[in-house]
Amino acid sequence: MKCALCGHVFDENKRLEICKGCLGSGCKKIRCPNCGYEILPEPEIGSKIVKFLKRRFKSENK
Amino acid sequence: MGTETIKSWIKRFDRKPSFGEDHLELSSKIEKEKRKSKKLVLVGTPNVGKSLLFNRLTGAYVTVSNYPGTTVTSDSGSCDISGESFDIVDSPGMYSLSSITEEERISKLMLLEEEPDILLHVADAKNLERMLPLTLQLIEANLPVILVLNMMDEAEKVGLRIDHAKLEKELGIPVVPTAATTGRGVAELINKIGSYKPKTGYNIKYNEALESAINKISTLISDEYPISRRSLSLLLLQQDEDIEKLVKDKEDVDYNKIKKIVNETASKFRQPLNYLVKLRLQGEASEFVSSTSKEVEKVDIGFRESLSRVMINPLTGIPILLVILYFGLFWFVGVFGAGDLVGLVEEAFFGELINPWITDFVVNTIPYVPIQEFFVGDYGVWTLGITYAIGIILPIVTTFFLVFSILEDSGYLPRLALLIDRVFKVVGLSGRAVIPMVLALGCGTMATLVTRTLKTRRERTIATLLMALAVPCTAQLGVIFAVLALYPNALWLWALVILFNYIMVGFVASKIMPGDKPVFYMELPPLRVPRPSNVIKKTYTRLIWYIKEVIPLFILISIVLWGLMLAGILDVIIALIAPVINAIGLPVEASQTFILGFFRRDYGAAGLYDIQGALNGVQLLVAAIVVTLFMPCVAQFMIMVKERGMKLALLIAAFILVFAFTIGFVVNLILTSLGVVL
Ligand SMILES: [Zn+2]
Ligand SMILES: [Zn+2]
Repeated sequence: MKCALCGHVFDENKRLEICKGCLGSGCKKIRCPNCGYEILPEPEIGSKIVKFLKRRFKSENK
Repeated sequence: MGTETIKSWIKRFDRKPSFGEDHLELSSKIEKEKRKSKKLVLVGTPNVGKSLLFNRLTGAYVTVSNYPGTTVTSDSGSCDISGESFDIVDSPGMYSLSSITEEERISKLMLLEEEPDILLHVADAKNLERMLPLTLQLIEANLPVILVLNMMDEAEKVGLRIDHAKLEKELGIPVVPTAATTGRGVAELINKIGSYKPKTGYNIKYNEALESAINKISTLISDEYPISRRSLSLLLLQQDEDIEKLVKDKEDVDYNKIKKIVNETASKFRQPLNYLVKLRLQGEASEFVSSTSKEVEKVDIGFRESLSRVMINPLTGIPILLVILYFGLFWFVGVFGAGDLVGLVEEAFFGELINPWITDFVVNTIPYVPIQEFFVGDYGVWTLGITYAIGIILPIVTTFFLVFSILEDSGYLPRLALLIDRVFKVVGLSGRAVIPMVLALGCGTMATLVTRTLKTRRERTIATLLMALAVPCTAQLGVIFAVLALYPNALWLWALVILFNYIMVGFVASKIMPGDKPVFYMELPPLRVPRPSNVIKKTYTRLIWYIKEVIPLFILISIVLWGLMLAGILDVIIALIAPVINAIGLPVEASQTFILGFFRRDYGAAGLYDIQGALNGVQLLVAAIVVTLFMPCVAQFMIMVKERGMKLALLIAAFILVFAFTIGFVVNLILTSLGVVL
């Protein structure tokens, strides 16, 4: 994963880079180890909508 | 022959025991002498002109081989240099010895197995800072490396001058500038290859704990390896799986002994060891680059490049930043988002339409007053929690996230970070304060976690304080802008006071931690016109996260407040803080804002929005200042406890509370005694 702020490339599965500070459980925010910038993974609902729209768009284009 | 050996070693690696007896024989000195031709391997990241240089050296006779079981390919060929025959292999792309990708892994294994007589590290001269860490690792490994500064023509075109002679002297290895596209420097490179004599290059010192771990591991290793023991120990400390396997196979020593040293060392740091090593290498690389290369002005740098420079240069960058802040934050987020949109959603939709209806409904269906209050009372889940979250906070953060996503997508943020870094250096402040400053634009709730990226306890403490004190969150900023928009003078005073605060705290911080030059690695992506699809996606992602975080919390806080109110505790608290609130010139109704603000900053901001009608200009200014400086929310406090410990967290909180109200008190005193009306 590449940080959107500093361009640092890092392994997003490393423990430390994943936010552990949230009060709510199940937070999957990723933090860049170089600059601390917060990178938000796309929410599931979001990607579903995007996929749906893409499919719609494609079929309309045909 | 080159291809043959690669195939054979890759086959060995594909099978389970990679480093067996056969490897020992292969790596022996005798085998090396038996070779008829010398071996030359090219390493480096992709897109640095490595293949082109390879072609320049080998000519037409190239064999491309695909590794069995992988899609990774490698070229091999041969040539004669000063009467000697060389087998040349172009390795797959590699950024670092501590591998992440399959290509890197294969490249690393190649270096271990092939035992090159000469290693060419082909680097992009334009991006030397990113390239040098690998050079340093190769030197560390005691490999026979020559650094090739390729694409020198392009580097010169963008106005970069690299003193390669100085670099050669400082690194202690041959350095050759080339431009493989035109063939420039290739003859000199061939000369250097022909006359190459192995020597020891620059030696990086790590911190004490790492150095002692390196020494301990080095003494446990007794066998011969193609790379230096120092490098081997470092890779073991970074838990490189291939190296672990190699050492386990070759050494008689109990590997658990090494494992113990690795774990002990790792437990001394908050960050993973491979990150620390990487940071150190990057820091050294930056030093080398700043001492050996400089930028000269060039005529044709293009519009984007000049815009980029204008953004970073403090003289032009600050006005640009102010324009962005004025239109993006003040007008769009403050006046439009927090003013117009909130007016529409909170006042018209919730206040006049939904809330009266719900209140009626609840009051008519539930006869029991405390339960009515639970839903629609002063601290009701609906009238306070949901209304604040959706009516006030949501419109503000939506507009803010939109602006922020546009800035992020355009590539402005890293330039902003560099600009602030430069400004801070001019004023003599620590460049490290850059990070909280930039993050202040995002939601600062979790900002305390960022302090993990800082090195010492002292720095982390100061950063924690700085963030808790002077980093406002988005919703706060929006509300303050919206509320003070009617009082331009108050807005200016507010900005002045907060700025003064920043500088003061930053100055004290820089005095307490002087001399430490921060390693701030930052890559500048090209500037571009933001793409609407990206902006929408980013805004949407941030919003969803925010809603997920904020709504349950607001409901929870409402319930807590409702409980406190029922128990009569809330009145006691209000009575207790009333003298303080009065002392800074605010009416008792303002207490609620601060109580809410204690639970969550943005909640307090919403509270301020709610009572703005009851306050005059001076009172609004004082409230805005105190709310900005005021102790951050419970969530941030809890993280402070978690990260810094209870004692320090309480100390910081106490300091901030006193500090915020003192500043409010002083500002109010000065303004009222001067009879100022804002
Ligand atoms: Zn980063
Ligand atoms: Zn989190």
